[in-house]
Amino acid sequence: MNTFKPLRARVQVTFAVLGAVLTGGGLAFTLCAAEPLSNSQAANTNSAPAQTNSATNPVPSVVKPQLTGAELYSIHCNRCHAERYPTERTAAQWKTIMLHMQVRANLPVKQARLILQYLQDNSGR
Amino acid sequence: MKGGRWMLVPGLAAGTCLLALPPGASAEVSDADFNALKETVRKLSDQVQSLTQTNLLVQQQHEKDLQQLKELQAKLAQTQQTAADAEQKSAAAVEAQSQPPLRAPLDEATVNHNFQILGDAEVQYVNTDHQNGSFVLADFAPIFLYRGGDNILFEAGFDATLQNNAPNSPGYTTSFNLSFAQLDYVMNDYMTLCAGELLLPLGTYAERNAGWLNKFPDDPLAVDALLPESGVGAELRGAVPFGDAGKFLNYSAFLVNGPGSADGTGNAGSLDLGGNVGVRSDGVVANLHNAPAGGGRLGLFVPFKPRYDLELGISGEVSEWDNAGSHLWAAGVLDAALHLGPNFEAKWQYMLTRYGSDDLGLIRQQGWYAQVSYKLAGLNLELPGINNLELVGRYDNLANGYDSGSGIFYGARRYSIGTIYYLTSALLLEGDYEFINSRDASLPSTQLILQISYGF
Repeated sequence: MNTFKPLRARVQVTFAVLGAVLTGGGLAFTLCAAEPLSNSQAANTNSAPAQTNSATNPVPSVVKPQLTGAELYSIHCNRCHAERYPTERTAAQWKTIMLHMQVRANLPVKQARLILQYLQDNSGR
Repeated sequence: MKGGRWMLVPGLAAGTCLLALPPGASAEVSDADFNALKETVRKLSDQVQSLTQTNLLVQQQHEKDLQQLKELQAKLAQTQQTAADAEQKSAAAVEAQSQPPLRAPLDEATVNHNFQILGDAEVQYVNTDHQNGSFVLADFAPIFLYRGGDNILFEAGFDATLQNNAPNSPGYTTSFNLSFAQLDYVMNDYMTLCAGELLLPLGTYAERNAGWLNKFPDDPLAVDALLPESGVGAELRGAVPFGDAGKFLNYSAFLVNGPGSADGTGNAGSLDLGGNVGVRSDGVVANLHNAPAGGGRLGLFVPFKPRYDLELGISGEVSEWDNAGSHLWAAGVLDAALHLGPNFEAKWQYMLTRYGSDDLGLIRQQGWYAQVSYKLAGLNLELPGINNLELVGRYDNLANGYDSGSGIFYGARRYSIGTIYYLTSALLLEGDYEFINSRDASLPSTQLILQISYGF
């Protein structure tokens, strides 16, 4: 157990520094960011897997008063799991799943409704 | 025939006029002839009158006949219509008997209820130092969902696992545990009532740790050792959006039975985080201690671009834990999650617990984990398969954890590195290698875990 103590110390410091930088940087980035979201990215979520669409998600520049269901889908679903395609379920199934996700992820009801509308509009049936 | 009768009438009238001419205008006529002729004219006049009456009767009869004819024609048309209707109904009846009943089309978007099964399944290969490598059915975890209307959902999750029986007992035991079962009622846009066996919002790990969601095959040490995963009780939760960019605050407040004591005493090793479900082993419905546990979580979610977001949370719970109610158990948790684009994720959670005991006084425990992951798709490399690969790293530690097997308190640090290969967005191949440094001899020093997990 003692054979990797030097490695352990270095890795521990690395993780600690990385964690501090990420958390602090994220906080600063968040507090400084004032640009609202647009729907330019979310449109891609229906056509490519989550792990392969980084190149197709440019930074949005259009100011919008309210987020669309597609944008909210893009924001929320990928936080916990790889996105599931709207066509994977029927409209009725999405209604049940979104109620489950609304409670589990503690999402605002109005945002959950917009995501549901997006999923149903693009559902398998 | 009728026309001939009408021609006869003027002829007879003309003859009568000629006979009525003065005698000076013609030859001399005797009285006898005149009387005979007069008689003849009278007879003819009677005949004309009789014929006229007959003709009137014939006309009346003719009109009656015409009327009857019209009535018969109307009846015939009515009968024909009735026959046609009957024929049509008969044909429809035959067609209805030969075809299945028509069903109204179902509007999938508005059906009022729905039953569904979601969940995940994981199979592992684990190679621990000083042990033989082994395949493991890590978990089969279906989640049953039943939605009744727009605002009511019942959800229950199960975990099925396998384990060998005790030495010298052949075969194995299948464990089928209820991990959560709750009724959710969305009261309004800002409040949802949940009741049942609840996943507790102490941090975010308990609610979001399904096998295909977790980027590592095992849980952080402190999560397993320090926090209860579920509790029987009721909870209010909801979220309040603010601003126009998707930001929101969310909250959870719960009352559950709380932790209990495995043997009823207040000894430190007896703390049982998950065993107080409200029905005692003797069947009596009762909490193991006097007061229920209370707790909650307050979270802040700030997206600053799609896929760029930060989530922060603070949560805690406090409860009596021994049967006498003389000691408190309390937990505090801080959690954070950061996404920088679709490929980078960092998560962090700090857990702190305190509880009093009869034998060891105040027990202080704490631990935390930090985890980062990066999907190589972000490098835009055109190499086969690389866009489906994700690198993950985690550090987690635990201070003063209690090992119920050995009965000792221990500390542990663990460093884990691994990869995930996405066969699909829901089918994952995971592999990680762990270095563990601990005084607890039951923990290995190194461990390799390979896992295939599927979310459905």
